[in-house]
Amino acid sequence: MLEFLSKNLDWVEVDYWFHLFNDLSLVYVFIPFFLFELIRYRYLNRLTKEVVYDSIANVITIFAFTLIEYVLGLLFLTKVYFWVHQNLSLPHLPLTWMTIISCILLADFTYYWDHRLMHRIGIGWATHTVHHSSEHFNMSVAYRFGPLDGIFPVLFSLPIVMLGFDPILVLLAEIFVQNFQALLHTEAIGKLPKPIEYIFNTPSHHRVHHGSNRQYWDKNYGGIFIIWDRLFGTFEPEVEKVRFGIAEPLNSVNPIKVFFHGLYRLWRDMQKVSGLRNKLLVLVKPPGWVAAQQERTK
Amino acid sequence: MKNSTLLFRSLIIIALLAGIPHLFAYATEQPTPNVAAATVDTTTTEPTKNDFILGNWKVDYQTPELTGAIIYTIKKEGEQFTAYTHQYADENGYTEQAERTKTLVITQFDGYKGKGTYLVAYEGKKYEIECQIDMVDENTFKLSYDYYGYADVETWKRA
Repeated sequence: MLEFLSKNLDWVEVDYWFHLFNDLSLVYVFIPFFLFELIRYRYLNRLTKEVVYDSIANVITIFAFTLIEYVLGLLFLTKVYFWVHQNLSLPHLPLTWMTIISCILLADFTYYWDHRLMHRIGIGWATHTVHHSSEHFNMSVAYRFGPLDGIFPVLFSLPIVMLGFDPILVLLAEIFVQNFQALLHTEAIGKLPKPIEYIFNTPSHHRVHHGSNRQYWDKNYGGIFIIWDRLFGTFEPEVEKVRFGIAEPLNSVNPIKVFFHGLYRLWRDMQKVSGLRNKLLVLVKPPGWVAAQQERTK
Repeated sequence: MKNSTLLFRSLIIIALLAGIPHLFAYATEQPTPNVAAATVDTTTTEPTKNDFILGNWKVDYQTPELTGAIIYTIKKEGEQFTAYTHQYADENGYTEQAERTKTLVITQFDGYKGKGTYLVAYEGKKYEIECQIDMVDENTFKLSYDYYGYADVETWKRA
């Protein structure tokens, strides 16, 4: 076992496996499963125009998000990652199964904190609210991204690179976590056996995360493992039927509104407070901070 | 939950998840051959069935930097095979003696497939790229590599 875990691997081989899970899964998992969900909606008489337009808006946001990611990546992100790897890193780790498993676990752990941060600060929620604003819950919602959704993970993945992991491996591990998490966006799967529900993030746990019911706010941030939520006090089981969406509904399937509504609402909140300090605080305080301030003033 | 508890638990998790692979790497460390600085072992080695790879090999290049061919000489050095540049040939067939530069180190070779390190200089920097060898026949092999998405396959023909 130790020999297996510490055996040096070829990049070509590792890249092949990640390609199989990260890229090709769109063809053999996501698209077929989404078609199955559409059939399910039809069977339940829930296949409305709104569902279809909402799904189209979701797909458009992923294209906009990807474009932003590519521009940022080409301009400076790639250079930053490699500079950090060369200059600010612990001794570089060899490419072994041990390294890959640890990297995926670390990527999942940092995903938890990245996700939690995006929910708990104004600028984070301004972009991540896009993902939560759909009132439906299907595979296409997994691809509903906000304009700055690619920025926050950088803050958490650079430290992994500093710990000696190869930047490309970190990127592949992050996409792997994201892909696993994307699989959970479905109403078609109920609760899984208890041991699985205890350790892993599941569709049930993730439905809770997308719930607008008050007790479900800011819960179940995990990517692959739900144990992070159990360890850090943010776990909530699915009990009450989940109402999907956000506290202030978007009521639109216009892709431009969907993509930018969070930033617009953040800007609107900044207009409501006076003084530069307060305006900057809106960026880092939790969502709802402005409303609470106004309530206090009254 | 208190912030200090969150911080403490997070630090423990990071130390574990990052520490274990470093411990593994340390415990199972194998001396990485510094191919660039490796000294040439000129001592005679026992001939093996894979020695047919020794000799001169020609590779054609059609790139913006080089249009023509390079002839390499593969020698046996200890347990590994090493290729050195031997001669340049331009597209018109004019040849010129090349400075003897170590270009390829084949660390594993079973007569059919092999692995090694391709030593590439690009824009003043030297890169050590893992590569694969696949014999097509006794007089041809493919050398392939994938360096962070920059992949290429070269055909080496016996000269």
